[in-house]
Amino acid sequence: MTKILAIAWKDLRSTARNAPALAMMLLAPLALAALLGFAFGGGGGFDIAATKVATANMDQGRTAAGESAGAVVAGILGSPDLKGVLEVSKKSDADAARAAVDDGKDAVAVIIPADFSEVVYGSSPLAKTRVELYENPTQEIGGAIAESVVGQALLEFSGARAAAAGALALRSQGDPPAAVLAKTAAQQFTHAGGVTAGLDISQRTPQLPGDQNAKDVSVTGAILAGMMVFFMFFGAANVARTILDEDRAGTLPRLFTTPTSYGVILGGKFASVFVTVTLQAVILLVAGRLIFGIDWGRLDAVVLLTLVAAGVASGLALLVISLTRTPAQAGAIGAGVYLVLALVGGNFTGTAQTGGTFGIVQKFTPNGWLLQGWDTTMRGGGFGDIRWQLLVPLGFAVAFFFFAVLRIRRRFA
Amino acid sequence: MNIVEVQELRKQYDPPKGVLALDGVSFDIAEGEIFSLLGPNGAGKSTAISTLSCLLRPSGGDARVAGHSVVREAQAVKEVIGVVPQDIALYPDMSARENLVFWGRMYGLSGDALGKRVDEILELITLVDRQKDRVEKFSGGMKRRVNIGVALLHRPKVLYLDEPTVGIDPQSRRSILDGILALRDQGMTILYTTHYMAEAQELSDRIGIVDHGKMIATGTHEELVKVVGEGARVTARVDHYLEGMAERWREVKGVEKVDLEEDEAVLLTEDPNEVLPRLFEAAAAAGARITEINVTEPNLEMVFLHLTGRALRE
Amino acid sequence: MKLAWILARKDLLQTVRDKLSFIFILLMPLAFTLFFGLLFGGGSDRLPVAVHDADGGVAAQQLVAALQTSDVVKVTAESQADAEKAVDDNKAAAALLIPRGYGADLTAGEKVSLTVVVTEGSSGAATAASEIRSLAGEQVAVELAARAAAEAVWAPRSMPAGAEQGVIAQSAEQARPVAAQVLAQPAAAVKVVQAGTAAGQVPTGFVLSSPGMLVNFIMFSLVTAGVALIVERRNGTLQRLMTTRVRRWELIAGKAAGMFLLTFVQQMLLLGVGQLFFGVDYLRDPVALLAMMVSLSLVASTLGLLLAAVLKSEQALVATSVIVSMSVSALSGAWFPLEITGPAFQFVGHLLPTAWILDGLRGIVVRGFDVADVLPALGVSFAWAAGLFVLAVWRFRLSD
Repeated sequence: MTKILAIAWKDLRSTARNAPALAMMLLAPLALAALLGFAFGGGGGFDIAATKVATANMDQGRTAAGESAGAVVAGILGSPDLKGVLEVSKKSDADAARAAVDDGKDAVAVIIPADFSEVVYGSSPLAKTRVELYENPTQEIGGAIAESVVGQALLEFSGARAAAAGALALRSQGDPPAAVLAKTAAQQFTHAGGVTAGLDISQRTPQLPGDQNAKDVSVTGAILAGMMVFFMFFGAANVARTILDEDRAGTLPRLFTTPTSYGVILGGKFASVFVTVTLQAVILLVAGRLIFGIDWGRLDAVVLLTLVAAGVASGLALLVISLTRTPAQAGAIGAGVYLVLALVGGNFTGTAQTGGTFGIVQKFTPNGWLLQGWDTTMRGGGFGDIRWQLLVPLGFAVAFFFFAVLRIRRRFA
Repeated sequence: MNIVEVQELRKQYDPPKGVLALDGVSFDIAEGEIFSLLGPNGAGKSTAISTLSCLLRPSGGDARVAGHSVVREAQAVKEVIGVVPQDIALYPDMSARENLVFWGRMYGLSGDALGKRVDEILELITLVDRQKDRVEKFSGGMKRRVNIGVALLHRPKVLYLDEPTVGIDPQSRRSILDGILALRDQGMTILYTTHYMAEAQELSDRIGIVDHGKMIATGTHEELVKVVGEGARVTARVDHYLEGMAERWREVKGVEKVDLEEDEAVLLTEDPNEVLPRLFEAAAAAGARITEINVTEPNLEMVFLHLTGRALRE
Repeated sequence: MKLAWILARKDLLQTVRDKLSFIFILLMPLAFTLFFGLLFGGGSDRLPVAVHDADGGVAAQQLVAALQTSDVVKVTAESQADAEKAVDDNKAAAALLIPRGYGADLTAGEKVSLTVVVTEGSSGAATAASEIRSLAGEQVAVELAARAAAEAVWAPRSMPAGAEQGVIAQSAEQARPVAAQVLAQPAAAVKVVQAGTAAGQVPTGFVLSSPGMLVNFIMFSLVTAGVALIVERRNGTLQRLMTTRVRRWELIAGKAAGMFLLTFVQQMLLLGVGQLFFGVDYLRDPVALLAMMVSLSLVASTLGLLLAAVLKSEQALVATSVIVSMSVSALSGAWFPLEITGPAFQFVGHLLPTAWILDGLRGIVVRGFDVADVLPALGVSFAWAAGLFVLAVWRFRLSD
C-alpha cells in the first residue's frame, strides 16, 4: 500500500512542478469560466446585448385623427420600457432599412407599409396589411424578440378591430350609426388598456417543496462545473500518459526489475491518476467558491460527485492510453475524444439545454450525467436527488477501468 | 561457488520468424567475480541482461541467480539483483536524493533505514553536494553515477551493468570503473556488458565473448588470448634489403618466427621489450635503417577476429 | 521556395504515417459532425412545456388547446409540483400555471394572471414564454374585444338597474365568435422575411451551427499540428536542417505550409460532409467559400506555428493550444451566437479573425454572400496571419 502511495506521491509532485500541466488543469478552467461568465454578463442572469432594429414607417396615416397607426407601432418599439432590449434607429425608407440589415448594421428591419393606418383604422373586414420584419437569419434571438414586440403591438390593433366587429354584430335598430359604434367599441378596447392591461404574465424560477428551494444557479457556476469536468479529462490524461512516457524513458521497465510486483506498480500509476485529478477538482471547487462566490451545494453531494467525476476522468484517461502506443498518439486521440464528449455532454453550453433530442444524447455521456448532478446540487439538492447522476457515471468509470486494466496488463505482463 | 548459472538460454522476439536474439547461451558467474559479456552491437548482450532481470521471458532454457530460477521465481530473483540499465532510467524532474528515496521504497526500504542508506549511496557516488539538484541538470557522468547508485540501494548480491560507460567523458568513465572494482573488492558479484575491449580486459575476472546470440568463448583474459597463440606481433619496415634483414633477424635471440609480407617483416616474439633493441642493433650492424616498427600484444580484438572473422568494432 | 515545399511534403508524410493519430484527426470531427447533423439537421424540435390547469374551465381548456396546436411548443399536462420539477430538471423548457379563477376573471373582464416558470439562461425558455404570451394574448384579446363591443353597444342604451353585468356579459357572449374570427385572421399581421434567403437557405439549427463546429475543430487541431515541430526540435533534426542550404524563412514557411495543407484538407472533409449529407449549401458561392477556407487555414496554421515556435514541450503545446482554441472558439461565436452575449464580449470577439470568418461562412450559406461580402473577413484574416507569421519567424527557436 505504501508503495502505491509512493508512486502516486511521486507523480503528484512531478505534476506540481510541471507548469504547463498546472496551467491546463487549474488556470484554463478558471480563466475560461471567467471569460464565458463575462460573456453572459457575470454572476447573475443572462445579459443580452440590445437588438439593433431599423424602422421605416411608411404609413401615410390619418394624421387628422391623431397619430398614424404606424407611428404608434414605431413608438412602441422605441419606448423607454424596451430600452435595454431594442436599440432603434429610424430610416427614411424601406430600402434603407433593409440595406441596414444586409450590411450587418441592424439585426432586424421593421417596415410599416403605406396602407397600414388605412387598413387598421378602416372598416373593410377583408383588407389586409403586413408589417414586414426583414431579419438577419443568423441573429435568431433578435429576430424573435422583434417579432414578439411587433406582434403584441399588432394584437392591440386587431383587438380594437375585433371589438368594432363585435359591436357591429350586436348592433340593432336604434343604435348609433355603424361607423360611430365601431369607433366607440375600438376606443373602448384601447382605453381599457387592451391586452397589455388585461393580461399579466409573471415569470419566475421553479419553487420546489421542502428545502429544495430553487436557488438561482449562477451562470459562472454552471460554466465552471462544465469546464472543471472537461479539464479533469486532460488532467487525468497528463498523468496517465506518463505510463507511456516512462515506458519509453526506461523508468517503467526499471520499476519492473525491482521486487515490487506488477500489480502494485500499475496500481500505483492508477492511483496517481485518481489522486491527481481529485486534487485538481478540489482546488477548482475551492477556487470557484473564493473567486466567483459559487455555492456548490451540500457537502455530502459535492464530495460524492467529485469522487465519481475523478473516477470517470481517470478511467477514461487510462482507457485511452491503453489503446495507443506513443505519447503523441495518446495526446492527439485523447484530445479528440474529450472534445467530442464535452460537446455532446453539454460541458460548453452549461445547463441551458432543455429536453428534446439533446437531453437524450447527453445521457450517453458520463459527463452529461455529472453536469446534471452539479446543477442539482447547486440548486440545493442533496444526495438523494442525484442518485442516478452518481450511479450512471460510476458505471461508466468502472467499465473504463475494466477495459483499461485488461489491455494494460496484457501489454506489460 | 557459482552464484549465476545460465543454461542454454534462448530468446526469440516475435516467433516463429522473428529475431533470435539469444541462441542457447550458457555461462556461469562465480560469487565475487566480475564477469563481462563482450560483443559487438546487436550480439544479444542487452537481451541477456533483460532476461536475467526477469524483464523478458526466455523462449527456452533457464538461469538461476542465487539459486532462484528467473523463469519460475522472478520475485526472489529481483530481491537479490540490482540492474543498471544502459539508458539513464531516472526521473529528470526529481533531485538525486528524491530519486534515490523513491527507488529505495520500490526496493522495499523505508523509514530511517532508507534515509541512512540513501546517505551512504550519495557518499559512494560522491554526489552529496548536489543531492538536492534535479537530475535533468546533471552532466552525463553524474547521471550515470546516480543511475548506478539506484541499483545499489538494497545491497544486491549481483549487480548487472549494461554498457554503463557509453558516451561519457574519460574522467567519469575512470571513476565508474574504479567504483566497480571497489564493489567487487567488497564482495559483490558483477555482470558487466560492453563492446569496449579495454574495459573488459581491465575489469573482468572472466569474460564471455558473444556474437549473434551465441557464446563464442569464455575464460580469463589469458585463456582467451591463447586462442590466437602466444607472443606479440612485431611488424617492421627497413629502408632497403628487407629480405636480408629478415634473415638476420631470424638469428636474433627471442625471435621465434619471421615472415615476409609484401614490404614488411612480421615477427613473433614472447617478449617484445627484450627483442626490440636487438632488432635495432641488428639493423644498425647491417647498415639498414628501420623506418617503421609496430608492436601488437595479443588482445581480445584479435581473439574475436580469429573466432568470428569479423572485427569487434564493426 | 522549392525547399520549403519539400519540407512541407516531408511533414505531411510523417503525419500520415502515424496512422492512428491521422485517422483520429480526420475521423473525430467527421463523426461528430455526422452525429450532430443527424440529430439536429431536420429542423428544430418543439419545446416541451408543462401545463398545470388549476382552473379547468372552458377558457383555460381553450388556452391549453391552443398551445397544443402550436408548432413551437409541445404541451404536457402536469400537477403543479411536477411541472415545477420538470422545469427544474431541465425536462421542460417552461411551465405554465393557470390559476383557479382564470376563466371567471376573463369573462368578467377582469385582469387575468398567468405564471410562467422558467430556469434562467435558457434560450428555449425565452421562446416558449414568448409563444405562451402570444397565444394567451390572443385569447385575452378575444374576451376584451367582445366585452368592449358589448359595452360600446350598451353604453347609449338604457338598462334595468343592477342588470348591467348580466346584460353586458350576455352580449359579450354573442360578440365573442365575431371577435374571435377577426382575431383569427387579423388585418394586420407580421410578415417575416429572412434576409438573403431568396437566394439562401432556411436556417435550421444545424445549418447555423455547422460553421461554428468547423471553426472549433480546426482550431482544436492546433494541438496536433505543432507537436511534430516540437519533436523535431527536440531530436535535433531542426538544427541539422540549418546546416544545409535551407534558409531560416524557408524552413518556417515549409512548416507553415504543411500545417496549412493539413487544416485545409480537414476543412474540405467537414464542409463536404455538411454539403453532401445535410444540405448545408456551402457551395452556393464557391469562390467566397474558398476565400473563407483559405482564411481559416492561414490563421490556424500561423497560430499553430507561433505556438510551436515559442513553446518548449509537447505538454506546454497541448495545454496552450487547448486553452487558446477554446477561448478563440467561444469568443468568435462558434459555441453560441454572439448576439446573446453582452456588447463588450462582442467587441472583443470581433477583434479575432475567426469571428469574421464565422460571419462570412454563415453569410454564404444563409444570406447569399458573395466574394465581395467576405472580403473584410479575408482582409482581417490575412492581416492576422501575416502578423502571427512575422512573430513566429522572429521567435522561432531552432533548438532547445
